[in-house]
Amino acid sequence: MRRLAVILLALGLAGPARADVDAALDRHILPAFAGFAGAAERLADAAVADCRPRAVAPAYQAAFDAWMAVADLHIGPSETGGLSIAFWPDARGFTGRVLSQLIADEDPVAFDPLGYAEMSIAARGVLALEMMVFDPAYSHYDKGSYACALVRAIALDLSRQAVALEVAWRDGFAATLRSAGGAGNATYLTGDEALRALYTQLLSGLEFTADQRLGRPMGSFEQPRPARAEAWRSGRSLRNVLLSVDAAQALAHTLSGGALPQTDAAAARVHAMAGRVGDPGLQGVSEPQGRLHVELLQQAVRAMRAAIEAEIGVPLGIAPGFNSQDGD
Amino acid sequence: MNIPLKRLTFGISLTALASGLGLSAQAQSAAEVLTTYADIAEAGYQDSLTAARRLDGAIDALIAAPSAATLQAARAAWIAARVPYQQTEVFRFGNAIVDDWEGRVNAWPLDEGLIDYVDGAYGGPTDENRLAALNVIAHPAFTLSGKPVDAAKITPKLLQDTLHEADGIEANVATGYHAIEFLLWGQDLNGHAPGAGDRPWTDYAQDDACTHGNCDRRAEYLAAASDLLISDLEWMAAQWAEGAEARTALMADEQAGLSAILTGMGSLSYGEQAGERMRLGLMLNDPEEEHDCFSDNTHNSHYYDGLGVQNVYLGDYVRIDGSLISGPSLSDLVAAENPDLDGEMQSRLSGTMMALGRIKTAAEAGSAYDGMLERGNAAGEALVMGGVNALIAQTRSIERVVAALGAEGIAIEGSDSLDNPSAVFQ
Repeated sequence: MRRLAVILLALGLAGPARADVDAALDRHILPAFAGFAGAAERLADAAVADCRPRAVAPAYQAAFDAWMAVADLHIGPSETGGLSIAFWPDARGFTGRVLSQLIADEDPVAFDPLGYAEMSIAARGVLALEMMVFDPAYSHYDKGSYACALVRAIALDLSRQAVALEVAWRDGFAATLRSAGGAGNATYLTGDEALRALYTQLLSGLEFTADQRLGRPMGSFEQPRPARAEAWRSGRSLRNVLLSVDAAQALAHTLSGGALPQTDAAAARVHAMAGRVGDPGLQGVSEPQGRLHVELLQQAVRAMRAAIEAEIGVPLGIAPGFNSQDGD
Repeated sequence: MNIPLKRLTFGISLTALASGLGLSAQAQSAAEVLTTYADIAEAGYQDSLTAARRLDGAIDALIAAPSAATLQAARAAWIAARVPYQQTEVFRFGNAIVDDWEGRVNAWPLDEGLIDYVDGAYGGPTDENRLAALNVIAHPAFTLSGKPVDAAKITPKLLQDTLHEADGIEANVATGYHAIEFLLWGQDLNGHAPGAGDRPWTDYAQDDACTHGNCDRRAEYLAAASDLLISDLEWMAAQWAEGAEARTALMADEQAGLSAILTGMGSLSYGEQAGERMRLGLMLNDPEEEHDCFSDNTHNSHYYDGLGVQNVYLGDYVRIDGSLISGPSLSDLVAAENPDLDGEMQSRLSGTMMALGRIKTAAEAGSAYDGMLERGNAAGEALVMGGVNALIAQTRSIERVVAALGAEGIAIEGSDSLDNPSAVFQ
């Protein structure tokens, strides 16, 4: 009887699980990686044409927007590959230190776009680019300067990474997820395992947004930490919160296939709460009223996580796996 | 480092697991498995305490008669003390009482300029940390968050209550193994090149031979930090005794207890060790982004962290006196439900120990861990990523253990769960 019960239960879960993973890949994840690769290429083109901040900034913003649709995935090629696209949080100030060192040394790596892939992740990706383009300590450079070459190298390296990531998902890891439970799939031994992997990304992404994207700048009531906000230099901190929530909502819908009224209501509430937060860089956390608005937004993000657990996790009978952010 | 306990990720499915175990004819009961786990924890913290007392004796000898030999003996005692302690890190995530306390003894990374003199390249206060270069050893009085602090006498209380995590900054590490490590070795100024920190013994000379000033206060700091380490470990070892808080909390609820074991194994393996401590440092190419950056002992810290995970799964621990603690284990429980999965889990744990062993072997033969992190060092990168990938793979098996045991539980639950599978998750 017991064995029969297990088999019945497995059959009950295997069907919908596979369909959901396909939908998540085809309707959310793979198009988003393609979109990011396109946006990163346009950013590289812009930087090659004119490396100066005013010319690079719009394409930087568009590429970061595109990245946010997949930024919270930490499996497969993104397990390690995502770290060199957006290195954050940077609690010990590595990005500023490494960029300053490169500039001081005029390290020839800036003229070696392929070799740039060997650089510290602190000097790669969207947040390194942000510091060069938006931080006044770095952004006063001219055409022909070393900093100009460095901006080009970072943008070209980012574009190459975006293409590599897209290809690795589309031509490799997508099949691993789709064939979960099939013969020869050593990564996911059942359809449920692939479903759980994506479900875990969903929950841990919202947790990261609440605890890190919002929690870090909030600091403590006595000591708020506005300079710890993500991408505050380019005024993207709040936007990143919303885009991460939108991405979670989209992924949740593709995974579940059904209506998600609680999740949708929670996402709407996140947007409503965000409307009260004045500063796009979350710099208002320094004032009690501003901090309160960010705290309410944080609660709304946590409520959305709970809604997804209730509407997807419970009905499907899946609990999340371990989160790459567990630990310090 | 002193963060709230991570969510007990598998609480839901383990509810089902434990109810299943209650009905099946297990060779080992969950309670016996939890007892072995608590016994290993108690022995591990007792061993850590014993080793910390030996370290304290060596520090006393260094302070009483500073010399190259007494400094070297203290360093050797510190390295020995890390062996049992690192094996206890697996108890951290999953046991709130350990996680709340851990930041006092093993906080990392640290802005060491808070404590003592540093090289000019270290820089001064940073945006993140206004106290990064405070140097309390050189300053008997200073202001902290606008308030004057009297540090004329450096006491355990000053370190614990005033300096540790001062200003709400985690990198202000004033206590624990890594503060002591810095005071014994000093900064490692060799970058990726061979060599650890090279603090001269004369930093503790109490006469004209004193180097870098304030040798009396430096000795006072070291003694205070060592005393604190002992009292902190005494406290934690006591919590695991029969009837004490940590053991009682673990045993109070069998499913929560099993969840604590698995949460500790998975969170240490994945987010903490594979992610934060190994891959991040590698991808940053920073020689100081290693766990034991002053002593260059990181290969051992990683190795014994991994061994701790294997210990609690197998229900075995070799004590520092060589004796073996062994009892009914999680492995026994899994084997009874699904022998193939137990085989997979054991082989993944062994694979991790092999990969971490390779790092240790290379490091002991002269290729220090910080050199492995250097930009363009492909062999070093392969060694470190071998450890990272093995730890990630074992995490997947830990998840599988939870899911498999949980699924059995659902099935055993009977028709209720088949009619309405979601019921058992509520």
